[in-house]
Amino acid sequence: MTGTTDVPLDFGDPADLERLRQDFRTWLADHPLPERGADEPLPLFLHRWHRQLHSGGWVGLDVPQEYGGRGLTALHQVAVSDELGARGAPGVPRIGYLAHALLRFGSEEQRRRLLPRMLRGDDVWCQGFSEPGAGSDLVGMSTGAERRPEGHYVVNGQKLWTSYAQYSRLCLLLARTGLPPAPGSADGAGTPAASPHTSISAFVLPLDRPGVTVRPLRAANGDDEFCELFLDDVRLEESERIGSEGDGWPLAMTTVAYERNALDTGHLSKYGLLVERLRRAADERRGTLADGLLSDIGRCAVDYQVLVAHARRRTAERLAGQGAGPESSVDKLLMTRAEQRLYETALKVFPEELYGEGADVLSDYFYSRAASVYGGTSQIQRNIIAKRLLSLPADRRA
Amino acid sequence: MEREEFTLVRDMLRSFATRFRADSPDDVEPSTRATAQRALDELGLTDLRRTSPPAATVQECALLAEEHGRQPLTTSLLGTVLLAPELLRLLAADERPESPHGARPTIALARDLRFPGSAAATNCVAWDCEGADGALYVDAEGGVTHVEPGPPAPTADLLRGVRRASAAGRPVGRLTPQAHQRWQAYALVVVASELVGAARSFVEQSVAYARERHQYGRPIGSFQAVQHLLADASALAEACTSATRYAAWSLDNEPPDRALTAARVAKAEVNASAVEAVYAGMQVFGGIAQTWEHVAHLYLRRILVGATLLATTADLLPALAAPEADPTIAREATR
Ligand SMILES: Cc1cc2nc3c(=O)[nH]c(=O)nc-3n(C[C@H](O)[C@H](O)[C@H](O)COP(=O)(O)OP(=O)(O)OC[C@H]3O[C@@H](n4cnc5c(N)ncnc54)[C@H](O)[C@@H]3O)c2cc1C
Repeated sequence: MTGTTDVPLDFGDPADLERLRQDFRTWLADHPLPERGADEPLPLFLHRWHRQLHSGGWVGLDVPQEYGGRGLTALHQVAVSDELGARGAPGVPRIGYLAHALLRFGSEEQRRRLLPRMLRGDDVWCQGFSEPGAGSDLVGMSTGAERRPEGHYVVNGQKLWTSYAQYSRLCLLLARTGLPPAPGSADGAGTPAASPHTSISAFVLPLDRPGVTVRPLRAANGDDEFCELFLDDVRLEESERIGSEGDGWPLAMTTVAYERNALDTGHLSKYGLLVERLRRAADERRGTLADGLLSDIGRCAVDYQVLVAHARRRTAERLAGQGAGPESSVDKLLMTRAEQRLYETALKVFPEELYGEGADVLSDYFYSRAASVYGGTSQIQRNIIAKRLLSLPADRRA
Repeated sequence: MEREEFTLVRDMLRSFATRFRADSPDDVEPSTRATAQRALDELGLTDLRRTSPPAATVQECALLAEEHGRQPLTTSLLGTVLLAPELLRLLAADERPESPHGARPTIALARDLRFPGSAAATNCVAWDCEGADGALYVDAEGGVTHVEPGPPAPTADLLRGVRRASAAGRPVGRLTPQAHQRWQAYALVVVASELVGAARSFVEQSVAYARERHQYGRPIGSFQAVQHLLADASALAEACTSATRYAAWSLDNEPPDRALTAARVAKAEVNASAVEAVYAGMQVFGGIAQTWEHVAHLYLRRILVGATLLATTADLLPALAAPEADPTIAREATR
């Protein structure tokens, strides 16, 4: 299989990582978790947490110093994420995938201006890729950025599922700067074929720009996470384009590749904590657990620790010089497997959640069902693995 | 080992494996087995874990075990080259073995091929015996005895030599509790690694077949149903790989209790997922995989038995469901 090493890997120097953990624990002891207000929306609470972490230097450990990070390795970021999970703290802010896209495609000026603000939490970002007519088949997007003779762009269209747009200041926007593609051109595998992939460009869109309307949508768990974004004659400057015209597709692929690794999304610590909660509950109710539930919990612990090992292996492979690519579809499937089995088991261990007592597990359970949809559906991940990793032949009927 | 040196050794083992693999179970005869074992011995790998400090890291040994698992081989790399020398090394670190053991021991296990339980056993089996003249048995308390291999014991894994033995052998020494943990972790990692190699290789073979085999005028690998089956199988193989390689690294770098947890996780993952991956591959091969001549069942047999080796899923999952000992974690998780 491509994208896998068969030589010994370096998972970091345990002593060095242990020192970082110690420093972090000391810092955490002096900087307790902020309390979440009764009516405080989760994104606002997470944002306060983000800024607190940043004040101690615990955000963007693997981002170069000149862009506001600490210039350490991704393995250091893993250690911090581990510690947070073990302490029941919210995870590392989910900016890794955006930062990587900017690092790779942004101009030097954009990197110096945007990255430190992103790391500090001055700018909250959202991701405007999907549209009503372009979900899995992102290439079919119809939002257009028309270049005017004066040099600027005028954008028209609609985005959908833009998570937390109502709390964000900036949006990483994809829009078409060339002709729309012929229908049915993409197979979901992101194979850069002909022109459709060169006619999309990426922009930084300030959400307070005239012509932008953000409308929140209610999710199945009751939260208003995602939004619709309406764009009517929105003016974007040339300097607000990231990369060259036509760089939108590779930028999107970089972003989603990082987004599919459990490490970059900071989900690992959240899973670890729930696994431990399930284990404690099982320990307290020994003997009264339904048949097989103990094994289910053990299986969740295995899924979680396999995911940790897998994320570390990917990190080690990346440090050895492999960029994030199609193998991140494997990561996404494993992450989905862990998350969905975990919350299904949690509902069995805490059945009271179904009868109105306590709602944190139920809400997260619903969110776990979305794991096989957001960031590219599980079917799309399998298409990518089949075509890009296993090089299976294309279906010529399409 | 230096990276170049490791690559060299690995490539040597790879070309050995390609030459001596069993293409069908009918190739597996005593004479061919002995020839293959002699050829393996000539590679001179027995010193990898014999010295202190060892010539090869656990991570390197695990990768070699993976390599050995990729082809249907009858040779003993695990028992005689990796496991028994490590056991003697762990013993020697604490005390000199009291009496000389056989020149070329393998290891012995409980009769059901698991780590011995707490009850004192009278019988055991010498496992992975090709070319071995004795076996080392570690009881539940870490006591090590040398046992004489007896007549062959039946096993579904047609490639593996297993012999009956009596657990009441000649005492050789005792592992400290730490060394005992390390031993169990190492054994789990080495065995899991061979199964990882087998699962990966079988999935790769079925992917290659899906590219070549045509039905309805096109390769079966172009059907999305087949693609998704193989994508899932390779994701499972990757999960096994990550867990096992990380556990191997943990043995080189972490205290024995942490390494043992990582090794148990790896074995639990492999027990479940390697079998699934082989099932998917067999489905892709269709009817041909159900025949005696095809190698598919050699892989399935190795992995089926492998899933019960040392520790079964039923042994591991309840243990892994026990809460962590770390008090900070305990406090936070009960909030
Ligand atoms: C909680 C959540 C948060 C999200 N956040 C964001 C965000 O912040 N920014 C953003 O841009 N997007 C976001 N999304 C959108 C997400 O990326 C899309 O929902 C996803 O890509 C699927 O697109 P779709 O919903 O249009 O479904 P469709 O593409 O219509 O798919 C419907 C079904 O058909 C299957 N299918 C489609 N094509 C194929 C194929 N070629 N082969 C096999 N099966 C196929 C799919 O797997 C799926 O099961 C979010 C979604 C969710 C649920």
